[in-house]
Amino acid sequence: MSRESDDLFDCIVMADDRFHVEGYREGFNEGTRQGMIDGRKHGASHGAKLSMEVSFYYGFGITWKCLLQNNATLIKQSLLGLIQKFPHKDPQFENLQEDMEKVRAKFRQVCSLLNVPTDFSDYVKSGGSGGMSF
Amino acid sequence: MKDTLALVQKFNAHPDSRCWYVAWNPNGMLLASCGGDRAIRIWGREGDSWECKTVLQDGHQRTVRKVAWSPCGNYLASASFDATTCIWKKKNDDFECLTVLEGHENEVKCVAWAPSGNLLATCSRDKSVWIWEVDEEDEYECVSVVNAHTQDVKHVVWHPTQELLASCSYDNNVCVYKEEDDDWECRATLEGHTSTVWGLSFDPSGQRLASCSDDRTVKIWKECNTGEGAYAGWKCVCTLSGFHGRTVYDVAWCPLTGALATACGDDGVRVFKEDETADPDQPIFFLSAHVPKAHAQDVNCIAWHPKEAGLLVSCSDNGEIALWNYQSENI
Repeated sequence: MSRESDDLFDCIVMADDRFHVEGYREGFNEGTRQGMIDGRKHGASHGAKLSMEVSFYYGFGITWKCLLQNNATLIKQSLLGLIQKFPHKDPQFENLQEDMEKVRAKFRQVCSLLNVPTDFSDYVKSGGSGGMSF
Repeated sequence: MKDTLALVQKFNAHPDSRCWYVAWNPNGMLLASCGGDRAIRIWGREGDSWECKTVLQDGHQRTVRKVAWSPCGNYLASASFDATTCIWKKKNDDFECLTVLEGHENEVKCVAWAPSGNLLATCSRDKSVWIWEVDEEDEYECVSVVNAHTQDVKHVVWHPTQELLASCSYDNNVCVYKEEDDDWECRATLEGHTSTVWGLSFDPSGQRLASCSDDRTVKIWKECNTGEGAYAGWKCVCTLSGFHGRTVYDVAWCPLTGALATACGDDGVRVFKEDETADPDQPIFFLSAHVPKAHAQDVNCIAWHPKEAGLLVSCSDNGEIALWNYQSENI
């Protein structure tokens, strides 16, 4: 009997707390769901940018390799090195940044060796411009 | 006798613009300066004073930030904000532009020749350091591009005897590079400064490296050898703090006397001497001479004469170059 009355009062007294907990749980789940969607979009766009850059270098490398079939071995070696550094289909997160930097650096060096002007501003990110410099 | 730093001559080198850098040629007969007016000037001694011998005006489209003489003295390299590095060949009293090295994405901040004369290093605001090789036919080829820094690279300097390169950056670090399998890599990152590192200088033996920074200190780094074959790295063995009122823009270790000179944003020039009695692994430097208002504005560069002990040159934001005579009881 006393247990029943306890339960009755329990419902009323703990109502606030219960709704609080329920509300939190619902909100958390909603947020997780939304976060997943946003995160996925973000990852997709980031991944797309990165692969766009890598595939650009890949295409560049292969094209020049074909064009230089007959010529200088040293340049071909650098190009082959460039292409070999590419198989980053799997995002091995740890070294990704470092390897990307190495690939970018190799690309710049190859452009310099081939005397190709590097105005690929549509495809490759470049630093800021203009204004003061020290 | 108290150590003194006396003014020998002061003159306006780059009218209405900054004088960014001054460099002595290897035999000390010529002084090259460069500035915001996009010109490079070559100065030669006439009796007791230094006079302008040549002006190289049309080499660059923007500020020339640094100039460097090749070890043989026949070539001059100039690094410019127009993203190119120009190589000039000396022909009697004149210089002719031999080639223009392109490739950096934006402002080139420094150029330096290796002591062997076959290699050249450049660094830029694009965060990369490029190493170029030159062959007997004066052909330049880029052998490596290294992205070890995460920000604008301010200065590069070669080791006096080994094929070792050091660079410093706006990212507060100093990087040391060595060649490994035909490619240059960063072998050590020296962390310690709390702001932009502007300049570097190796001591005459190459065992120690001095770095100067926007954090108003100068740090001395020593290579530590574990003796096991693995590359151990460098550690900071001394920090000179409390001496400079503002950013220290340049540091120069005298190859003849071992004295250390600094160029500061508080318009002063300072010379430090090493305490001979200190433990070599924990060196102590004390302020030997100081000229508080050496220039009317920031002092950008300081360089010791390669042959004449005690002769020092500095240049400033107001376009002036000053020559100093440093006298110390031990010299």
